[in-house]
Amino acid sequence: MIKRASIFVLLAQLTLLALPRGVAASSDDQEKFDALHHSANAYYLDIAPLDPIELPRIFIVRYEDGSYGLNLFRSTSSAILNGHYVSEIDAGHGGEVQGDDHEVEGDTHAETQGGITGEITGELIGEITTAQLEGHLVPPGGSHVVLDLSISRHLFFAWLAMGIVLLIMTRLAGMYKKGIGRETAPRGLFQNMFEGMVVFIRDDIVKPNLGDKTDKYLPYLLTAFFFILTANLLGLVPFGATATSNLMVTVVLASFTFVFTQLGGTKTYWMHIFWPPGIPTFVKPILMPVEVLGILTKPVALAIRLFANMTAGHLVILSLIGLIFSFTNIFGSGAGYGVAPVSVAFALFIYFLELLVSFIQAYVFTMLSALFIGMAIQEHEAHDDAHQEQQIEASASPEAEPVFAN
Amino acid sequence: MMVLAQIVLAQSLLEPDLGLIVWIGITFLAFLFVLKKFAWGPITEALTTREQNISDSLEQAEKALTEARQLQADNTKARREAEAQAQGVLREAREEAERIRTVEVDKTRSQIQQMQDTAQSEIEREKQSALNSLRQEVADLAISAAEKILRENLDADRQKKIVSDFLKDLPKN
Repeated sequence: MIKRASIFVLLAQLTLLALPRGVAASSDDQEKFDALHHSANAYYLDIAPLDPIELPRIFIVRYEDGSYGLNLFRSTSSAILNGHYVSEIDAGHGGEVQGDDHEVEGDTHAETQGGITGEITGELIGEITTAQLEGHLVPPGGSHVVLDLSISRHLFFAWLAMGIVLLIMTRLAGMYKKGIGRETAPRGLFQNMFEGMVVFIRDDIVKPNLGDKTDKYLPYLLTAFFFILTANLLGLVPFGATATSNLMVTVVLASFTFVFTQLGGTKTYWMHIFWPPGIPTFVKPILMPVEVLGILTKPVALAIRLFANMTAGHLVILSLIGLIFSFTNIFGSGAGYGVAPVSVAFALFIYFLELLVSFIQAYVFTMLSALFIGMAIQEHEAHDDAHQEQQIEASASPEAEPVFAN
Repeated sequence: MMVLAQIVLAQSLLEPDLGLIVWIGITFLAFLFVLKKFAWGPITEALTTREQNISDSLEQAEKALTEARQLQADNTKARREAEAQAQGVLREAREEAERIRTVEVDKTRSQIQQMQDTAQSEIEREKQSALNSLRQEVADLAISAAEKILRENLDADRQKKIVSDFLKDLPKN
């Protein structure tokens, strides 16, 4: 983990290098570029050069008089213009957006319409500015948002990933229901490709770790794998975003693994945590908190690993592209043109690396989830050494096992 | 480092977003159940069925092969036995034939012997009887000659003549 974290820091530093203050705060040219901003979540779909598509805003609000209400808006614009929400520009965003960008003509108009406070900056899109779109919405009057259920970009792409997986897998299931692949050999690229993946997960990831409990946890692990893979790949599609580069999404996924692990935990598992066998009694109270911490670090590591991996690649690509803008701003457009081929070549390389990482991270998440659940559901009373031996045996013996054993 | 942390945090990369957690939590759970019911269930069930079919077929093929081998071995054994039996029969037949032939030859030989013996004794008897009758004849002749001699006992010439006549009269054989 430390290694991964340090890599992440390194990448972020690279981002900083790529985006010196000159770029970040560059005011009047359009070569403004911010890698982190592109990776972050937002409430619109970026389909530049077209205007962004705003997503619905849903708020559970607590009014001044103590009652609760649900506020639904078609878009951020609608929330500002019709719902009299105020777009607060975060202090953090200030570095980039609070600069002295063009004072927009619509400024006063928006202020009278939507009651906007603070300095309004950014380009005018529709009836609000980009800065307002980025800002944090605050309901009017003394009410405040209890829960912001707005459809964000990452949520949209998570749902898109779910939709795609659902479409593919129900179609695949339909083929089996028709008897293709059940009584006959599987047919066609589509079925063979996805069947291969499903069988790989079942036989090479889940079965070695879960043994005869495979059927119970296979649906979750398959779902997790295909969802993560699809979400990862959607981030590599033009205009796409990576839902798995959002820590919230990965935290939820890791929580599922966590819940499954604890629910499946056998007596042996809890025994190992609260009263580890095979060590002197006076050490046991010391080990207990460590073991309890160990329960939590596993899902946390899962969540951060996936998040960091998916974010890092995008940051590197965007930073490499950002180099073009940096060079242009610092040394003039000639240097910008000069560095462009190098940047694009490197970005392309990282892109392919990301393609690989998309698969690897989906695999790693599924594999570790299976491993954690497998460790928790082990029935027998045995010492740690015995566990390891068992696992070595289990990992060494798949060849010996008949392929079709079920 | 601090600046970095600030920027990362500021860009909402690590900003807690409870709404998103709620949405993803609910939808992922629903997604999991829908997939389990409509996709993973049928898919894994079909795969298991197919694998079972394949392993059954392999097992059956293996069994059939074993049976075929057994059958072939049985057939070979039966053929060998039949051949051996046939050879035995042939040998017995040959021996029997040989035995019969020997017996026949012996029998024939003894018959011939018997016939020879019979013939011999017949010849002997015939010879004896011929000798007997010859003796009789010679005796008769001698007597009749003596008689004639006695009757014509007058002169010697005459006697001589008589004897020579007599001898002339004797049949030549």
